[in-house]
Amino acid sequence: MKKPEAAFFSRVLMMGNEAAAEGAIRAGCQCYFGYPITPQNELTAYMAKHMPERGRVFIQAESEVAAISMVFGASVAGARAMTSSSSPGISLKQEGISYMAGCQLPAVIINVQRGGPGLGSIDPSQGDYFQATKGGGHGDYHIIVLAPASAQEMHDMTMQAFILADQYRIPVMILADGRVGQMMEPVRLYEDSPPPAPPKPWALTGAKGRPPQYIRSLFMEERALEKHNYELQACYRQITATEIKAEETETGDCEWLIAAWGTCARISKGVVQKARAQGIKAGLVRPITLWPFPHERLARLARRSQVKALLVVEMNCGQMLEDVRLAVNGAAPVRFSGYPGGRVPTETDVLNALIELTKTNHHGKVEQPAV
Amino acid sequence: MKTPTSGYQRPASLTDAAMHYCAGCGHSSVHKLLAEVLDELEIRERTVGVAPVGCAVFAYFYFKCDISEAAHGRAAAVATGIKRALPDRIVFSYQGDGDLAAIGLTETVHAANRGEPITVIFINNTVYGMTGGQMAPTTLAGQITATSPTGRNPATMGCPIRMCELLNTLEQPYYIERVALDGHGGMVATKKALLTAFQTQVSGKGYSFVEVLSPCPTHFRCSPQDSLKFVGQKMAAQFPVRIFRKEGVPVHA
Amino acid sequence: MHERILIAGSGGQGVISIGKLLARLAAETIQHITFFPAYGAEVRGGTSNCQVILSSNEIAAPIAEKFDSLLVMNQQSTDHFMPLLDKNGLAVINQSMCKAHADDRHVLVPATEIADRLGNAKAANFVMLGVWLARKPLIPNRTVENAMATHFPDAPPALIDINIRAFRAGLDFSSSGDRKA
Ligand SMILES: Cc1ncc(C[n+]2csc(CCOP(=O)(O)OP(=O)(O)O)c2C)c(N)n1
Ligand code: SF4
Repeated sequence: MKKPEAAFFSRVLMMGNEAAAEGAIRAGCQCYFGYPITPQNELTAYMAKHMPERGRVFIQAESEVAAISMVFGASVAGARAMTSSSSPGISLKQEGISYMAGCQLPAVIINVQRGGPGLGSIDPSQGDYFQATKGGGHGDYHIIVLAPASAQEMHDMTMQAFILADQYRIPVMILADGRVGQMMEPVRLYEDSPPPAPPKPWALTGAKGRPPQYIRSLFMEERALEKHNYELQACYRQITATEIKAEETETGDCEWLIAAWGTCARISKGVVQKARAQGIKAGLVRPITLWPFPHERLARLARRSQVKALLVVEMNCGQMLEDVRLAVNGAAPVRFSGYPGGRVPTETDVLNALIELTKTNHHGKVEQPAV
Repeated sequence: MKTPTSGYQRPASLTDAAMHYCAGCGHSSVHKLLAEVLDELEIRERTVGVAPVGCAVFAYFYFKCDISEAAHGRAAAVATGIKRALPDRIVFSYQGDGDLAAIGLTETVHAANRGEPITVIFINNTVYGMTGGQMAPTTLAGQITATSPTGRNPATMGCPIRMCELLNTLEQPYYIERVALDGHGGMVATKKALLTAFQTQVSGKGYSFVEVLSPCPTHFRCSPQDSLKFVGQKMAAQFPVRIFRKEGVPVHA
Repeated sequence: MHERILIAGSGGQGVISIGKLLARLAAETIQHITFFPAYGAEVRGGTSNCQVILSSNEIAAPIAEKFDSLLVMNQQSTDHFMPLLDKNGLAVINQSMCKAHADDRHVLVPATEIADRLGNAKAANFVMLGVWLARKPLIPNRTVENAMATHFPDAPPALIDINIRAFRAGLDFSSSGDRKA
């Protein structure tokens, strides 16, 4: 074993939910509004304890509709604000998220996903990919979506989310799941002072010494909404040009490319090692930003001559699958290995799906429905 | 807790399923009493219940009547829909304090304000039981919960909401009563209140509301015996046990 | 080193407590750790379990399928989890609460009885931890004893004392050979 570096000793064992909460605190989150729901309760409880200690705002709202509306208000006032919930609660927040997208307000929303639809279960799931990346609420908008796979990333990405939100004046969602939220791992905490927030001349802080201003998503003047929509789209184009992130493992010579995000990416990383040990040249591409999605990166990988097929692995019935297909655009066959209903696949499940894939004939561009 | 009837018989309106509630939980007792009322009024077969999201989420496994799920807090609105569609059916909602008084307060108040002829059964245990004992709108001042780790501070977290008193300001409700499940006497009173509430609906009179102060030993962090004391003493001091509205007329204390 | 551990029992037997303690102490010397408590149904009751993985290499999949160590404290968990024991694995079984056949991969220990004799049956989890650590010395015994007070700051001193004695009884149980008590 290597001799541990000095930073080794500054690690703390933390649950993903708590690591995210601590990340928000260290990012300078001034206001947090929550409503209890499993499997993210530890996040709300952590904020209940540590926000007031620092003289910051914690409110347990009467509902998720109320919580996101409070975030809206805090953001209007120029504060760094956050809320967290799990799938059913995130559905309720969509109204507020759409309004914040329309009003160009920064905010951080954490979704520790559980099974659905409806009340579903409290088990880990990736069933909210569509909701998070394709809109969720009404109107023509996007939010940035980051997908953590460890307690460390819950911490780091929450931090990052505040920076992105302020920079682009956009809501940012951390799309975690019950597994990442409940798991404890050693976390190296961010030690510096909070990343400075850009000036927010748009914030409503009282019209002292300046003309009054407003924040709105309602544009009734002729063609004003159209213009507003184009402005939003210009912002989305800029984000797409600069903020896409993906991680690759063993893709150099890979013939069988797994595409997975969050918890499934982590499991698939183990599968790549196991497959390689059996002589199967597997590799992994893991989108870290789910929106903007790394379409180009996937297209490039799929077009490599040695790549025989892709296997998309998700804890749902095929959601990111659609983005992968769009990106690959027929350059290689795309197959799917899905685990809906709160089931977390084992390495063996995914390895078997991969072995199955290597045995099939890939002249036709076939796709299998969810297992 | 003992049942008021000597010689316990399982009410016909309860299924054989073993309830998942913790030992000493008020939900089990209220379920039994509610089932007895459905039996006595012979309304089981024309009753449609609405279950909450909360510890009683599985109520549909326990009652031998039709029961629908509702999204968290929306039970009164769902019950409204059912009752409007089927005016001759007996419709009740069964809800905890998070469900009824936090996320569902709007639905609760507006159903009462319209005077929907439904029966709302409100289990006030001062906490969110199912999600691990967080603060509820009814949590007492100073009470420690998972989200009020240093005790509920009225200055920033508000004071416990008295639902009966609040609903009693409205014109339309017909019957409103608060009871405390604090032992044998409390069981008898609760049964009587439930009976009156359902009779109100059966005779087509209007909106009825029964608040039951109810023990949650798990999150009171004490024995079932001590949680009865908490209900009868601490809770009843904050939430007066009495009839607030009778035959559509406010009853003054 | 790559050690996959599963600790299981009924709610109230403290399986999550010792899993967390183990993970926390291991973090002082071992590079990669994941601890995962089964968070079960939102409704209460039933069995409880947690997984701890300790490794000198990056832990890719944080979910084990087979375990190098099983600490099982009641019959239900024994029935459920014993099939997941790796063929070279070690199972520590609370004989006070479960039946299991003797096997050289199994250590049967009357943990609840030992703890009860020390004054609190609830300290059985520390007996189990002691037995296991004596066989798999992945963290120093002293570290565990020193952490008892700091890790459970709310526990009264008398209880901490019983926990320490329970832990030592577990260590002794192992070193005195497998008494099939
Ligand atoms: C939209 C939404 N938000 C949050 C939850 C999580 N949740 C489940 S039950 C519950 C509160 C239950 O408390 P209460 O109504 O007081 O009933 P009790 O469990 O005490 O009987 C919450 C917040 C959910 N299911 N849906
Ligand atoms: S947590 Fe409380 S309300 Fe829920 S079942 Fe247990 S005692 Fe009842």
